[in-house]
This record gives sequence, structure tokens and C-alpha cells, in this order.
Amino acid sequence: MEPLYEYAWLIPVLPLAGAMLLGLGLISFNKTVNQIRKGSAVFIVSLLGAAMVLSFLLLGSQIQGHPPYTRLIEWAAAGDFHLTMGYTVDHLTAMMLVIVTTVAFFVMIYTDGYMAHDPGYVRFYAYLSLFSSSMLGLVVSPNLLQVYVFWELVGMCSYLLIGFWYDRKAAADACQKAFVTNRVGDFGLLLGILALFWATGSFEFDIMGERLGELVQTGALGSGLAALFAILVFLGPVAKSAQVPLHVWLPDAMEGPTPISALIHAATMVAAGVFLIARMYPVFEHVPSAMNVIAWTGAVTAFIGATTAITQNDIKKGLAYSTMSQLGYMVMAMGVGAYGAGLFHLMTHAYFKAMLFLGSGSVIHGMEAVVGHDPTLAQDMRLMGGLRKYMPITAITFLIGTLAICGIPPFAGFWSKDEILGATFAANPALWGIGWLTAGITAFYMFRMYFSTFEGSFRGNDGEIKRQLKVAELQRMGLSLGPGAMNPQELTMDAEVDEHDASNHHHSSSPHESPITMTLPLIALAIPSIVIGLVGTPFANYFEAFIHPPGEIIEGIPSEVEWGEFLTMGGSSVGVALIGITLASLMYLSRKIDPAAIAKQIEPLYKLSLNKWYFDDVYEVLFVQGSRRLARQVMEVDLRIVDGFVNLAGFVTLVTGEALKYLETGRAQFYALIVFGAVLGLVLLSGVT
Amino acid sequence: MNTTDFPWLTTAILFPFLASLLIPFIPDKEGKTVRWYALVVGLIDFAILVYAFYTQYDMSNPGLQLVESYSWVESLDLRWSVGADGLSMPLILLTGFITTLAILASWPVTLKPKLFYFLMLAMYSGQLGVFAVQDMLLFFLMWELELIPVYLLLAIWGGKKRLYAATKFILYTAGGSLFILVAALAMAFYGDTVTFDMRALMNKEYALNFQLLTYGAFLIAYAVKLPIFPLHTWLPDAHGEATAPVHMLLAGILLKMGGYALIRMNVEMLPDAHVYFAPILVILGVVNIIYAALTSFAQRNLKRKIAYSSISHMGFVLIGIASFTDLGLSGAMLQMVSHGLIGASLFFLVGSTYDRTHTLILDEMGGVGKKMPKIFAMFTACSLASLALPGMSGFVAEVMVFVGFATSDAYSQLFKVIVVTLAAVGVILTPIYLLSMLREIFYGPENKELTSHEVLVDAEPREVFIIACLLIPIIGIGFYPKLITQIYDVKTIAVTAKLEDSLTALAEQQTRTRPLALQPSSAPVVAPLIQ
Repeated sequence: MEPLYEYAWLIPVLPLAGAMLLGLGLISFNKTVNQIRKGSAVFIVSLLGAAMVLSFLLLGSQIQGHPPYTRLIEWAAAGDFHLTMGYTVDHLTAMMLVIVTTVAFFVMIYTDGYMAHDPGYVRFYAYLSLFSSSMLGLVVSPNLLQVYVFWELVGMCSYLLIGFWYDRKAAADACQKAFVTNRVGDFGLLLGILALFWATGSFEFDIMGERLGELVQTGALGSGLAALFAILVFLGPVAKSAQVPLHVWLPDAMEGPTPISALIHAATMVAAGVFLIARMYPVFEHVPSAMNVIAWTGAVTAFIGATTAITQNDIKKGLAYSTMSQLGYMVMAMGVGAYGAGLFHLMTHAYFKAMLFLGSGSVIHGMEAVVGHDPTLAQDMRLMGGLRKYMPITAITFLIGTLAICGIPPFAGFWSKDEILGATFAANPALWGIGWLTAGITAFYMFRMYFSTFEGSFRGNDGEIKRQLKVAELQRMGLSLGPGAMNPQELTMDAEVDEHDASNHHHSSSPHESPITMTLPLIALAIPSIVIGLVGTPFANYFEAFIHPPGEIIEGIPSEVEWGEFLTMGGSSVGVALIGITLASLMYLSRKIDPAAIAKQIEPLYKLSLNKWYFDDVYEVLFVQGSRRLARQVMEVDLRIVDGFVNLAGFVTLVTGEALKYLETGRAQFYALIVFGAVLGLVLLSGVT
Repeated sequence: MNTTDFPWLTTAILFPFLASLLIPFIPDKEGKTVRWYALVVGLIDFAILVYAFYTQYDMSNPGLQLVESYSWVESLDLRWSVGADGLSMPLILLTGFITTLAILASWPVTLKPKLFYFLMLAMYSGQLGVFAVQDMLLFFLMWELELIPVYLLLAIWGGKKRLYAATKFILYTAGGSLFILVAALAMAFYGDTVTFDMRALMNKEYALNFQLLTYGAFLIAYAVKLPIFPLHTWLPDAHGEATAPVHMLLAGILLKMGGYALIRMNVEMLPDAHVYFAPILVILGVVNIIYAALTSFAQRNLKRKIAYSSISHMGFVLIGIASFTDLGLSGAMLQMVSHGLIGASLFFLVGSTYDRTHTLILDEMGGVGKKMPKIFAMFTACSLASLALPGMSGFVAEVMVFVGFATSDAYSQLFKVIVVTLAAVGVILTPIYLLSMLREIFYGPENKELTSHEVLVDAEPREVFIIACLLIPIIGIGFYPKLITQIYDVKTIAVTAKLEDSLTALAEQQTRTRPLALQPSSAPVVAPLIQ
């Protein structure tokens, strides 16, 4: 199977070639390329399909026990210093390749239906392909520097895709926020990489780990410093995987088209952080204090994400906070050393969360037929309800995803979440407590979402709710723009858009099921969401046998089940999930409990959740306005003091020059004299000393 | 004809100037013929440079190549001597490339086209001369000569405040170059022999105090050019007023002269003084990066914003030069080439945008992306290149500087940590101002006030071509940096080796008066593990 490995570089390169071809076409022959829509789509999808087949072949070969394969070329050199780039295929890479290519493949098929009427259809495919290429390049990276390269590239793709609808103000703000927040994380990552390179002289994961271990053991490097280095590197994943405190970009990123939310901001890119922790595991495992920080960051994120998700009314924002919370689980697992469990959850989550997002896209697509192309209306759950009757396939797959994320056996999420909670309990019961509580909250908000979207009666034609939502939106904009700054153009534009819609396809009074290109990926992703968990059951953990930390050796298939432990752990997490579901059904299905009344009773807590723990507001004052003020002050200094000082110096010389002119006759001689004098002075001075 | 003996560099330097002398005789009132003439001259000259590079230049040779030396003014011992080595060759090629593109970029110029193209070609010669000459006095002459076209180009074709900007430019640079003259003369008359030849000057042994004084004099001159804080304030004015093609040359080539001369004279000829001055360079580099980035963020004028971003990027050149490592110096060189390409592309796009919106104030723009998708796409690509996105040249250069400085054993750990951390803050600040700029120009709903009285047409093929020409090498270097680094690799290694000698020699000599922040004798804590 050697040729297979020699050509593994094709996996990231194929989608890149597709993206570049489409991009060049768009720049040079815009009109023509935009017209061959289906052709471009088929082209891009088949290239990614080829990459997917290759990935599956590689995974098969790795499962059969092929040794890891690495190929490197010299990339940059200076003196005896060499930087290499290349690709490596091992168990972790093979698994990630398959996850990324399958999710991307289904998302691309789905895109055809979702973006059917968008003028940027071809451009969207080009971006999607570019993103897939960067992400695949990230997972095959053999060293930390190359990871950083692709890490930034996926960030750029995410920037382009969030800002895809660039004429929407919210999208414009969101894409910049995402990029800058990620850069803050990358700042740490870059410093961490430099520090680790300084200490160990290598960018290779294993060598770095080995040498760092040695250094810490011999005491050449203080454990405090080692922890600092590790935490700096960890800042990268904190931003990319939306961990507290750098999570603020992820919910806003939902301004991008929904296929992107599914692919980048749920299934693949945000998981890159967890992937990097896994790759850096050989380094982190030598630094227990850093592992502690990682675990606690994960736990806090899981909790904050879940508690924020409870009160969200935008279906995509709700899912975004749920993603953040689930990523918290994975990071926590990594932190307590449950390497296999964290990656297992990454895999199951990738499938069921991609499906949930695509399902939400299907819902939005259906809602747009009723309320028009206005994200404020089409994505708000207060306008939904009873959609199960109109969109049965979407409803069933969404329910499957909901059950999977809630951890109800035998759906995929149960096995991975249970494994994480089990490992966490063994490491630190306090962390387990947070995780367990979060599991209950997760079940609650997910079923709240499911019930208010698919059950009950349809509220999409309620003019009063629509009006309220519009007013709330305008108030929000007014607040964010400052009083009086509200842009009247936006209003007229919205009106235009509405008219445009009305003339094209008239609003119907009931939503419809999405086309086959959208439902097919939902069905396809539902299958792994149900069964993929079975590869990692405690009875026969094939997953753990395949994916384990590089340092560990696992013989055979781990299958020792302690029934008592399994039943208490699994039972308690299922139990808390059932409590959450029951509460949700009482509040949102049978309406026995009025949520508004509860909200009123615990108003401070409700406000805290509704306002996303006030992270955005604090950052706005502290960083956004702070940096603006600082920049303005520096500019003032530059303009008045620095420039003024140098100008003054010039002025003084001019004046003295003028004065001297009357003393000396002729300027040229004067300058010659000065130059001569200065030279003489220099030579004399240095001769004397 | 024997191609080895052919005076390639002299031809390349003189050809544009001689060709420009014919411009007054071209019968052309509207400037349609003369621009083609200038473009062809530019292309031929670039072709000569490329041909000479491919056939005559040996990349594994650290010494001076393509050498020519003719006696010029006997009594002054002034010789016309030119040559190219790893430091100058990439910049000579860059000059040919950018200047030719700048001529293509000046297609819309309608005011006094003959004079304009005459000056452009004269500048072509002057710039090549600065990088190629190997005689101190000649270097000074070239340095001064190239100021005149720039002054005129600024003063005649500039914006509203063009006279102020041009005067400021000439005062700063001419004031700075006075220091070059003083230092050059001093070096020439030092010791037993009087010579202006750069190689001979390099081999002279100067006393330390003399080195420090001349180093300081050179530094002031080059600090104006590069520019280094606090001598940078001419640049935003000049850049803010210049037209797009002049802008491309200012950012693409002229700033690089400062960096080039800093390596050529301060580092190569005065290595002992460099050991003392290096920490100052590093600190100034950090100040450049952060200070200019913050100022750029606050600017509301598009041209001034990009001008400050240039200053910010030059900070990395300073840190690289002062890193005492192969990698750092190599990164500084690469940053100069890379910024030459990226800066030129950004300034060209600013010009193209201005041609359509007729405003440079960000508040008056907004939402123009819908009408000009190609310019939007190209602007985005070039801004991403400027914020050091991997896969583009700026990233490689910055990473090389970072890694080079971090692994340098010339500085104490604490100093390195502070410098690297602060320089990395630039990594956060750069996207903030560049992406804010993109957002304010292109994103969001269309600005009705702007679209009501300006016709926004998308990029024409000429503009796409220019940007494509610049982006191809940017991405090429980003993917495979050895494309450029191999040209100068042996040279930078030789320079660093010489610096290492000075460093160790000084460390042995002066254990008592150790320079600030320098601890040459103390190896890093974990040195044994570094390969």
C-alpha cells in the first residue's frame, strides 16, 4: 500500500486546486463562471469525494496496522538551520481525515440546496473547498510550525466565510471579531511555539515532548516556566475551540451561511483546538499544572456555554453555545488525561452537531418561505413551532441529534460523554460535578429547542411577534451604534429585500420540507449519529485501541467492564438528562410550567444567561473602546509631539542657518566647512582616544 | 561577444536614464505613446537584469559578482565601480520588477506625461545605482540623485498638501544624507590609505570609538529612510500625498534603501559598533512595530493608514538585523523583499480605489464591495498578505525574524522574552487595523451618499494584471521561501559569521564594561540541547 501513502499529499491538494481554479475563473471570467453553477459544484464535490476515498483507504490501512508514515521536504533554511514541511499519516491523522472529509462532503451536497438562489453560489463553493484544503493540511501536519501555518489559514477561511454576505453589517462585524479573537489566541500559540523551540530546539511533537520531559526532570527548566510554555500554546486552542475567555467570536460567527456553521463552526475547525491538544499531548503530559488549567478551562466553558444556551431564542445561536459547551467537554477530557475519550467525543460530536446545524439550516430554509430572507425572523424560535408536520425528515433527524447530544443510550453521544465523565470522576470529582450538571442543562436546552421548533402550533404567521422582534432588533442596533446613529438606509434596504422576495416567490403561509439535496445529507449524517458510538463502548473499546496517546501501548481491545462503575456513571448521567428533558417538556411541550414566571423569579440569573454572562459588554468597554482610545492618543502624540519636535529641530536649524548666512558669505563654502570640520573632528577624536 | 565581460550592471543602471533623455523628442501630445515607450524601456531593463542574474550570478558565492570598476575622476580617486552580492541582488531585481509595474500603474496619469515618465525612468536608474554601486562617494551621489525625481514627482503630481510633503521629504532625507557624507569621508580618510572603495573600507580596522561615532551618523541617515521612530514623520505626509505609482516606488523600493544600507555599512563595515548598537536597534524595532500599528489603527485617511503600516512592518527588519543569527538576518532581508511586493500592491490598490471613490477618508466610504467585487477580492488578498497570513511571503519573513531572535544567544533571556512578547503584540494589532479598514471600505450596506455621485466601476484588466504580477511572487515565496532566500543565503551567513567574531572578541576584551542588555558570554540555560 506504499503508493497510497506517497500520494497522500493529494488529500489537501485536490480541494486546493479546485478552489484556486474556481477563484481564478471568478476573477478573470466572472460572468461565465458564475453561470456554470452546477458544473462548478459537481467539480468541487467530486474533488473532495476523491479526497474522501483516499482518506478512507488510509484509515483502512492504518487499522490494519500500517506503521505511521512521514514525508518531509526542506522548506526554509538559513545557515545550519532547517525548517521542514511535509505530511504525516498516523492513527490520529487518519481518523481526522475521515471526519473532515465526510462532514465536508455532506455539507457540500447540502450547500447546493441551501444556497440555490444565492448569487454567490460559485464563490461559496470555492471558499468551502479552500477551507477543506486548509483543514486537511492542518491534520496531516508533521510539526508544530506547519500546524501554525494551517491554523491561520483555516482562520482566514473562517473569516471569509463568516463575512460571506458582506453587505450585512452584522456579518462584517462578526468576521472581523472572529479573526481578531483568534489572533489573540495565535499570539499565545506563537509565543509558546517560540518558547518551546528555544527550550527544545525542535518543532516535532515527539522530540519536543521528550526533551521537555528531560529538561523538567533534570531541573534545567523550572516547572513554572514549562507550565507557562504549555499554557501559551494552549491559548491557541482556547481561541480556536471557543473556550472561555476567548469564546465570544463563535456565537457571532453564526452570521455566516448555515452550511458553514455546520462545517467550520461545529464539526471541524473548532475541533482543531482539541486536535492540537491531542498532538501536543506528549508535551503537555509532562506538565501537570498545565493539564489542570486545561481541564478547568474546559469545565468552565462547558458550564458557561450550557447556561447561556438555555435562554437563546435564535436557533443557530443556541446551537453555537451548545457547541462551545461540548467543546468544553472535550478539552476537559484532554486535561484530565482522557485522551481517547476526548477524541472519541470529537468524532461523535462532529457527526451529530453537523447534522443538528444542517437541520437548523433546513428549518431556516423552510421558515424563509414564510417570513422572508431576514435572519432576525427566520432564525427565531419564537416564530417557529409545529414544524414536524411540515418537515418530517428534518424533525426526525433533528430529534436523533438531540437525543445523541443529550447522551441517551444507545445514541453516539452517550458513549463518548459517559467515557469522559467516567474518566473525570476518577481524576477530580469536582470537575465531574460540573460535567454532570452540564449534562442535565444540555438535555434541557436541547429539548427546549426541539419542542419549541417542531412541536406545538406554528407561530410563523403571528404579526405581533414579528413586530416585537423587529423592534427589539432595531433597539439592539441603536444601542450598539450609539443614540441617534441608527442608519436609516438599513431600514429601507430591509424593505427592499422584502419586496424583492415578495415579487420573486411569494410568501406562503406554511413552511415546506427542504429539497432532496438538503435532506439526503441529514439522513446520511443521522446514521453515524446513531451507531458510531458503538465503536467505543466499554464492552469492546475498538476506538481506544486505535486512538491512544503516543506514549502508551495498548494490547488488544480494552474491554474490562466494571459493571458497578459503568451503571452508576452511565445511570447518573442518563438520569440527570432525563430530568432535564422532563423539565423541558413540562415547560415547552405541555406548558404546565410557565417559563416566563420562572425567569421573573430568578431575574438576575436569567439576565446573566440572556446577556451571555456579559462577556461581550465587558470586552467592548475594556478592549474595543480601550484600544481605540489608546490608538487615538498615540496618533495625537505622533502628530503633535514627535512630528512637532522634529519639525521644531528643523526650524531651529533653519533659523540659525539664516543667521549664519549673514556672517558667512556663500552657502556652499559654509556647508563644506561644516562637513570638513566634522570629519576632522571625528578623525581627531578617535585618534586621541 | 563574451557575455562575462559585458558591463551588465552599468548597462542596466544607465539605460533607463539615457532612454529617458529621448522622451522630449517623442512627438506625442496626449501621453499615449510616451507611456508605451517608458514601459518598453522598463521591460527591457528588467529583462537585462534577469538575464544577467541567470547567466552571470552564482548563488553559492558569498562574494561580490558582476563587478565592474572604471576610474572616473582621477584626482578625487572616484571610481565608477558596481557589483552585486547576496545583499544587493534581490533588491536590484525587486527594483526592476516594481518600477516596471509602477510605470504600468501610471497609465491614468494625464498631467505633463512626458515629464512624469522622464522622472520615473530617471528614478529607475537612481534606485538601481544605490543598490549596485560599490564606492562610498558614488553611493552618496546616487542616494542624493534619486531624491530629485522623488521630490518633483511629489511636488507636481501629489495631493492637496503636496508642497509641504515634498519639502518635508527633501529636508529630512537631505538632512540625513549629510550624515552619510560625513561618516563616509571620515571612513575614507581613516588610517594610512585613502580610499572610497567599499570592500577596502570593510577591511580597514577602525578603533571602537570611531566605529561608534560613524555608526551613529549612518544610523541617523538610514533611520530617516527606513524609517525608524522618531524620524518617521515625513513618511505619512509624503505617502499621503503621492500618486499611486510614486507611492509604489516609495514603499516598494525607497524604504528598502535604508535597510540595505544599514546592513551594508553599519553591520558589515562596523561590526564592533553594531554589537553595542544592536540592543538599541531591537528596541527601536519594537517601538516601530507597536507605535506605528496603533497610529495606523487611529488614522482615518486610507493612505496614511497604509503608510503607518509600512513603518510597523519595517520594525521586523530592525529586529532581524540586530538578532546576530543567520535566520534573523535572512528574515530581515526577506521582509524587505516581501514588503516591497506587498506594500506596492496595497498602495496600488489604494490608488485604484481612490480613482473611483475620489475620497481617502474612511468615513466617506462603505459598502463599495458590491459594485467592485474584483477590487474587493484583490484588496482582501493583499491585506491578508500584509497581516502575515501563512502561505504568503510576509509570514515567512516574520517567523524567521521571530525564531531567529528567540534563538539568538547575544541577549539575556529576560530581554528576549520582553522583545518577543511585545513584537508579537503586533501580530494582534495588524489584523485589527487592516481588517477594520477592509470592513469600512467594502463591507456593510452601500453608502448611498457615495454611490449617488461617484461611478464605481470594477477593476480593469490592467489593474488585475498588476496585482496578479505582485501576488504570484508573494504566494510563491510564501509556499517555498527558498526561492528568494537561496539568492542571499551564503552572504547572510558570512555577515553573521563576522558579527559572531566581533561579539566573542568584544566579550573577551570587555568583561568589565559590558554593553547594555548584552551578555555575550552566558549561553542560554539549555544550550546543550539546541542542535
